[in-house]
Amino acid sequence: MAALQEKKSCSQRMEEFQRYCWNPDTGQMLGRTLSRWVWISLYYVAFYVVMTGLFALCIYTLMCTIDPYTPDYQDHLKSPGVTLRPDVYGDKGLDISYNVSDNRTWVGLVHALHGFLAGYSPESQQDSINCTSEKYFFQESFGAPNHTKFSCKFTADMLQNCSGLVDPNFGFAEGRPCFVIKMNRIVKFLPSNSTAPRVDCAFLEQHRDARPLQVEYYPPNGTFSLHYFPYYGSKAQPHYSNPLVAAKLLNVPRNTEVVIVCKVLADHVTFDNPHDPYEGKVEFKLKIQQ
Amino acid sequence: MSHVSVNLHLLVKPEVRGIRGNGPGSPRPPSASVRNAEPAREAKKTLEIYSVELSGTKDIAQTDKADGKEKYRGLKNRFEPRKNHQKEELKKELDLDDHKLSIKELEEKYSTNIITGLSSTQAAALLAQNGPNALTPPKETPEIIKFLKQMVGGFSILLWVGAILCWIAYGIQYSMNKSSSLDNVYLGCVLALVVILTGVFAYYQEAKSTNIMATFNKMIPQQALVIRDSEKKTVPAEQLVVGDIVEIKGGDRIPADIRLLSVQGCKVDNSSLTGESEPQARSSEFTHDNALETKNIGFYSTTCLEGTASGMVINTGDRTVIGQIASLASGVGDEKTPIAIEIEHFVHIVGGVAISIGILFFIIAVSLKYHVLDSIIFLIGIIVANVPEGLLATVTVTLSLTAKRMAKKNCLVKNLEAVETLGSTSIICSDKTGTLTQNRMTVAHLWFDNQIFIADTSEDHSNQVFDQSSGTWASLSKIITLCNRAEFRPGQENVPIMKRVVVGDASETALLKFSEVILGDVMEIRKRNHKVAEIPFNSTNKFQLSIHKTDDPNDKRFLMVMKGAPERILEKCSTIMVNGQEQPLDESTAEAFHTAYMELGGLGERVLGFCHLYLPADEFPESYSFDVDAMNFPTSNLCFVGLLSMIDPPRSTVPDAVTKCRSAGIKVIMVTGDHPITAKAIAKSVGIISANSETVEDIAKRLHIAVEQVNKREAKAAVVTGTELKDMSPEQLDELLTNYSEIVFARTSPQQKLIIVEGCQRQNAVVAVTGDGVNDSPALKKADIGIAMGIAGSDAAKNAADMVLLDDNFASIVTGVEEGRLIFDNLKKTIAYTLTKNIAELCPFLIYIIVGLPLPIGTITILFIDLGTDIIPSIALAYEKAESDIMNRKPRHKKKDRLVNQQLAIYSYLHIGLMQAVGAFVVYLTVYAQEGFTPGILTNLRVAWENGNVNDLEDSYGQQWTWYQRKYLEWTGYTAFFVGIMVQQIADLLIRKTRRNSIFRQGLFRNKVIWLGIASQIIIALILSYGLGSVTALNFTMLRPQYWFVAVPYAILIWVYDEVRKLFIRLYPGSWWDKNMYY
Repeated sequence: MAALQEKKSCSQRMEEFQRYCWNPDTGQMLGRTLSRWVWISLYYVAFYVVMTGLFALCIYTLMCTIDPYTPDYQDHLKSPGVTLRPDVYGDKGLDISYNVSDNRTWVGLVHALHGFLAGYSPESQQDSINCTSEKYFFQESFGAPNHTKFSCKFTADMLQNCSGLVDPNFGFAEGRPCFVIKMNRIVKFLPSNSTAPRVDCAFLEQHRDARPLQVEYYPPNGTFSLHYFPYYGSKAQPHYSNPLVAAKLLNVPRNTEVVIVCKVLADHVTFDNPHDPYEGKVEFKLKIQQ
Repeated sequence: MSHVSVNLHLLVKPEVRGIRGNGPGSPRPPSASVRNAEPAREAKKTLEIYSVELSGTKDIAQTDKADGKEKYRGLKNRFEPRKNHQKEELKKELDLDDHKLSIKELEEKYSTNIITGLSSTQAAALLAQNGPNALTPPKETPEIIKFLKQMVGGFSILLWVGAILCWIAYGIQYSMNKSSSLDNVYLGCVLALVVILTGVFAYYQEAKSTNIMATFNKMIPQQALVIRDSEKKTVPAEQLVVGDIVEIKGGDRIPADIRLLSVQGCKVDNSSLTGESEPQARSSEFTHDNALETKNIGFYSTTCLEGTASGMVINTGDRTVIGQIASLASGVGDEKTPIAIEIEHFVHIVGGVAISIGILFFIIAVSLKYHVLDSIIFLIGIIVANVPEGLLATVTVTLSLTAKRMAKKNCLVKNLEAVETLGSTSIICSDKTGTLTQNRMTVAHLWFDNQIFIADTSEDHSNQVFDQSSGTWASLSKIITLCNRAEFRPGQENVPIMKRVVVGDASETALLKFSEVILGDVMEIRKRNHKVAEIPFNSTNKFQLSIHKTDDPNDKRFLMVMKGAPERILEKCSTIMVNGQEQPLDESTAEAFHTAYMELGGLGERVLGFCHLYLPADEFPESYSFDVDAMNFPTSNLCFVGLLSMIDPPRSTVPDAVTKCRSAGIKVIMVTGDHPITAKAIAKSVGIISANSETVEDIAKRLHIAVEQVNKREAKAAVVTGTELKDMSPEQLDELLTNYSEIVFARTSPQQKLIIVEGCQRQNAVVAVTGDGVNDSPALKKADIGIAMGIAGSDAAKNAADMVLLDDNFASIVTGVEEGRLIFDNLKKTIAYTLTKNIAELCPFLIYIIVGLPLPIGTITILFIDLGTDIIPSIALAYEKAESDIMNRKPRHKKKDRLVNQQLAIYSYLHIGLMQAVGAFVVYLTVYAQEGFTPGILTNLRVAWENGNVNDLEDSYGQQWTWYQRKYLEWTGYTAFFVGIMVQQIADLLIRKTRRNSIFRQGLFRNKVIWLGIASQIIIALILSYGLGSVTALNFTMLRPQYWFVAVPYAILIWVYDEVRKLFIRLYPGSWWDKNMYY
């Protein structure tokens, strides 16, 4: 095999490159004359315009086929996720720690809860209706104004001691903090067959000799009333607010870190997905110092 | 400088030839000589013609040296520094003077005894001191280096960078957050694994093809008969040491360089050393100052043809003359093959695109306020998307598939890349003997009854159509049969006549086979005509005669038959036989004889004359005792019967092959050691010099003017002898090579091949060279593709070559060229196919960075396309048939016709690749929209989407998603995008079947492997989605069936677009469209 490569000096290469950029003999810039550049640009412009048009057409068609009220598939939303307020995240998930005697450590948490519950003030809920039935609130037709469906009211005062109205510190000051638990919305999801879904909080690892976690739930029993279900989507229910459950933890041991898990107990809510720690339950670390 | 000396030393050869005068350089008629001609006279003739060379030997070698330096100073400078050690060796070789010493002096010098030999202890000591008597094999690159080279070559570097970036990214993550996920570590490992696996694969492929050669090279260990401790012993030739007394006999390979001490009728074949195939006599006398000339030296690796001899070993192993030439060959630069350069070029293009896009988007990402860590991860994605990981492995497989196919057609390719080199060949320098010709003398013409008859020279002689009814033929055939000492080796009754082994020289063999074919059992005829006396051919008489009893019981006369040099035979004749009747030999018949003789001689054929005489019964009764020494019988006033001419005829497949080469734009140059007339005749008969082209000499002859007056531009062909070549400056050679389209180099030494090859390479040609001798190896190495002969070739030649022709047939080279061109075209298709999807893989990252969509396709998924679904289809393109007759095309210009040119890259990247990207995005967006995320909400969703702490992200319907639910959707998006690309790659595969013709013309189903490829794509995708959809680490999910069809309209669009492209290319050749769209 023989020498097929010739070594070019740097200056030769530069010269060749310059000639490539502008060739005075043929009037070529970068290998093409100006008119050729115009032609090729026109071609590409046309080509890309057509491609963009086709793409837009496809997306338009796609949007036309999609039902604005209900998603076509809910393959990944078999069971709702559960979230917690206040939400302070550490390295791994929710991690809440504060010092009872130092109000600077918990004022942020309290503030976050106030902020969150602002969306549940009577003013912001005024477009929703009061529901009293403990059954599913099925709505076939669009009975509400502007071709929408009714949403049931959930106001902060339903959380009683944890509403922030009675105790603006949500119990943080006395070491019996309130946590607000929210279940994610899924369109047309029915959590259970007849009984209302209930929140149940406990220590993740219950030692035999330790006392079980004592919790006060608001609304009483820690249930999400069935009349908040099913959810019909943001277009049909623009004023819908997720129902909440507040859990006031009464006997959290001091100066130790505990892991607390709050599960939603309902027929169709699962909390045993090994990959998804937020499906049907929420875990959080809590450390209260004194 | 020593490289210069290489040539010099080699250039000593031509005058060697001139002096010896019985090499293939022997003039043929009309300078009138018969085979085995008398050396003295021959030498005289040679002298006249080649007088320049005569002063010979060392002085000339010195002048040569000076000349050579002059000639080659310019082009050789760059070789000089590294070759100094070889110069030393050369000096040593020139100092060889053992041939001048007397036996006594030799015994002293090597402290041995020619009767008792060395003692075993002496031998053992010398063996330990000088090492075994074997050529050091060319230095092999250590296996580990070869392996490591595979690991860092090509795209591997980019992938290593990707892997290292992954680990760096993890390092940064880890330093910020001790519990960060190991994803990046895994990805880095996967990338490293990909590099290692493809490296191992490429290494394995290369090792496999090297192994073929290794087995091919394996030789039976040679034995030597040596006198040691006063006893004759057989020892392996490797154990010979200097001073050993060895005995050789006919058929042996000479085991070392030996100084001959006693010789009985020994002839050697020095062709492996000098390229001359004529046997050369050896004697124990010192006949020439030059070691290469003198008759009392036998050279290592040459063959003793007949006789016996004993000699003293004077050089062993690498110190032998052959060893020195062989080590020169390994010094000639072994540089990159054209395809290696093309692949490098392509790697540069792709690597350049990857790095520039990577860096560009790194900067964009940083300036868009992305975290540096994220930017690094984008960079990894961009690199992985841009590098066609599987491509180099595919290319290797494709080349080895072709290599296998070529091996079936008798081209054994040593170096995979040589497969393509053959395709880009623009000049073939071919040997004559054995390659273009059948390598056996065959009767070509007969002259009797004042007429020239043509004999069939095809491989099987089946069709002898000349008139056999004449009485003259009856007499002639009798002479041919009887005046012949050649015999078939017994036990070959079932072998076709032309294939039988014959004991005897080439001419006699030809005559024997000729008569056997026409007359039947020659041995039986000879038995019936009992031979009573015989004078074998000798160079003094220049004839051969024998006297027989006739098979006619009524005819008691003896028949004397004679053959020999035509003019000698004619001198002895007084009558001539015409139509079976004896007629006096008058002026006009003698004139006719001369005309015929000249004509046959002019065809480059070896002519023999035949005559006979019925000895009168009264003078020579049955009991007469013939004495061949006293010559007690008449040898004049004989009856001339006819002439017969022989030639080594061209192989029947060669003329076609040469025509094919010509239409393929390949120049075929014949380089032979033979006489110019023979060379020209063969060149004409195979078409190397076409029927209507003339040399300067031809024109001069036709116009009856002096050669100098001829306008050189008119001549298309040229026959150049080695002597002329020696006097040419490189510029003159360049001029010769450019001005003449049909060139024959005759009487060249194989070493001059190197000069010719270099000349061709200066014309920017890709040169293929055939060769068989040891001293061809420098030329074989120097050539872009060296082709060694599998049958006639020496091991050194095979070692130096890139390809071995198993059947020594020129036509096989042409099939090789065809395969080489096809593979180049098909590699283009494969690369175009593979490059296309890179854009579809790259766009997601760019969109992700700029628009902030959830990542459409993951790095691992990309690897599954590159190394999974795309592998078999891209190999399948190697099986694609040629679109048109590739042998009607000019050879590709190695600087202009690139494997990956601008058009290919642009068309793949910006046209089809872009369509694929759009199609795949449509699938991706469809999946997201139907699951709840419409395109509108997706923009700039990235940060929240990827935040593991957001577990209630709202979609377009107000539904709230946890992080894992989103991740799972993202993987579904990956799968969807993957399927989108896969579906469109099927269309891409189909359109790549052709570059110019419509697919329908090419035939959708002709290449079955393509469909196998498509099936593999679909099956792999199905397995990934449905079989491995539950393995979270692979990021595949089970995709709803309808999503497999979303990209189909785009696939159809790709196909239609490409058909339109091809249609316009065909409709408007040379147009703007053709220039921009044809790759």
